Amino acid sequence: MTKNRKRYLEAYLFLVPIITFLAVFKYYPFFTGIFRAFYRWNAANIDKFVGLDNFIELFKDANFGAAFRNILIYSASFLIINLTMPLFAAVLTYNIRNERLKKFFRLGFVVPMVVPMMVIILMWRWIYGGSFGVLNQFLQMIGLERWRHAWLGEPSTALGAIIFINFPWISGIYYLIYLAGLNNIPIDLHESAQIDGINHIQRLWYIDIPLIISQIKLVVMYALIVAMQVFQQPLVLTSGGPGTSTLTPALYMYQQAFTYDRFGYASSIGVILFIVLMALTIINQYIVKETDKLD
Amino acid sequence: MLNNVKHKISFGQLILVGCVLILFIFTFLPFYLMVVSSIKYQMQIIDQPWWFSLPFHFSNYVKAFDALWRPIINSFIVTIIGLVITETAASMAAYSFTRYDFPFKNIIFFSILMLLMIPGFVILIPQFIQMTNMGFFNTYLGLAIPPGVHMCPLAFILMRSFFIGIPGSLFENAQIEGANNWMIFTKIVVPLSKPVLSTVAILAGFTIWNNYVWSLVISQGDKVQPVIVAIAKLKGNINEGDGLKLAGYVIASLPLVILFFFMTKPFISGITAGAVKG
Repeated sequence: MTKNRKRYLEAYLFLVPIITFLAVFKYYPFFTGIFRAFYRWNAANIDKFVGLDNFIELFKDANFGAAFRNILIYSASFLIINLTMPLFAAVLTYNIRNERLKKFFRLGFVVPMVVPMMVIILMWRWIYGGSFGVLNQFLQMIGLERWRHAWLGEPSTALGAIIFINFPWISGIYYLIYLAGLNNIPIDLHESAQIDGINHIQRLWYIDIPLIISQIKLVVMYALIVAMQVFQQPLVLTSGGPGTSTLTPALYMYQQAFTYDRFGYASSIGVILFIVLMALTIINQYIVKETDKLD
Repeated sequence: MLNNVKHKISFGQLILVGCVLILFIFTFLPFYLMVVSSIKYQMQIIDQPWWFSLPFHFSNYVKAFDALWRPIINSFIVTIIGLVITETAASMAAYSFTRYDFPFKNIIFFSILMLLMIPGFVILIPQFIQMTNMGFFNTYLGLAIPPGVHMCPLAFILMRSFFIGIPGSLFENAQIEGANNWMIFTKIVVPLSKPVLSTVAILAGFTIWNNYVWSLVISQGDKVQPVIVAIAKLKGNINEGDGLKLAGYVIASLPLVILFFFMTKPFISGITAGAVKG
């Protein structure tokens, strides 16, 4: 008995750091955030319980509606992009015979991933920027002067410009995920396909893609969760503007808190976002589990 | 016959490699333009955006480095503090879960896992108020603790599955030799776990180094400002213009890119682990 107790004590001692850190710096602010969603609160002199008022206001808030519309467009585009371009590049790389070339490209596509996201965002700001921006100069050079835009400054192009960052959208985790899936395909499957006289496109459609379906599902869920949270790009590039054309829910939350001192209202946005993401994550867990069974 | 087949294959391969090459060129085009333009003054960028042009203004780099060396040191300090938090807390917890059975084990396990579902920005506001109230505003600890703690659950999962794979006989032998659990942990488990510790270091270090939004709200002025915030504020004079900024972006990218080429394997496994397990 006492021996057991001593072992328990030891086990808990090893857990002290993680439990302390997570309780103080994760659970405490998390529950504060939920609690504060029901308050009108500016972190200074105003601090009043208002029930569901924040949520009611939120659902009537046209800006929040616009932010949700933007995030849906952004997420759908992000999803389509990451289901096609990196997969295309991965399939191509996978089929290169020359091992050295293959290695070179695989490594090469990873390199931009280690460049800080912030640098990439700022680099694209420069590419889009001004009438002498690189993109506008390029359009002029190929004779498409009429297509020149203040890309980040016009409501009709700003969201598109943010989606277009990272073109051709290959360098990223998604490329590596697809490649890992393709590398797991048993080699004799391809050999027997070759004997049966299947061409490359048929092989891709009937053999390769069905066999990497779990990777594709992973990409869908991960990309959705990443896309729903986007806000660094609009924060740095457009502050959500012009108007509300690039506002996202997370950015709206940030602005309500740090520009307007409406911490209670901002917390209610956080709660809504959390619920949406939680739902996505649970669906994700369910799908991943299902594919585990299939394997 | 054989020759024919070989010829056919190499033609298909040629198209294949050509396609990849085009994608590759487009991927690197922006980076190429950034590097080329980083040694120009503004007028040179406008006159000749696509190629090098004389004179080279390496002074852009000198000036950008002047503005960035302190923030880079700040970023190193913050990242190291954050990493110490992640690695220590997660490895100790993982050890406890692999070596012991104890009451509430499952509840504790799930309350750690649950946190993977809470994205960092959901707690941004309460965390900001909390850290400010605790006196961490504009300090290294204020910058380092939240992202360091944020990486703990994922690090814990990765380490736990690694520790489970360590053969049990190693522990038993050590115990017979009279080693206590703290000694087993520090002298046996930690040295054996270099692969997972470095995966976690890359994954967490990368996240902490690149954490923009938290750094933006919790820091002010130059005192502890990390490089990720500093580059967004870079400005050149009227001659230097964008050239100086771009030089700054190149400088800010170099530490991680250089590190990547020295330790490619842990980098790739670190990056992938973040997506697959998170």
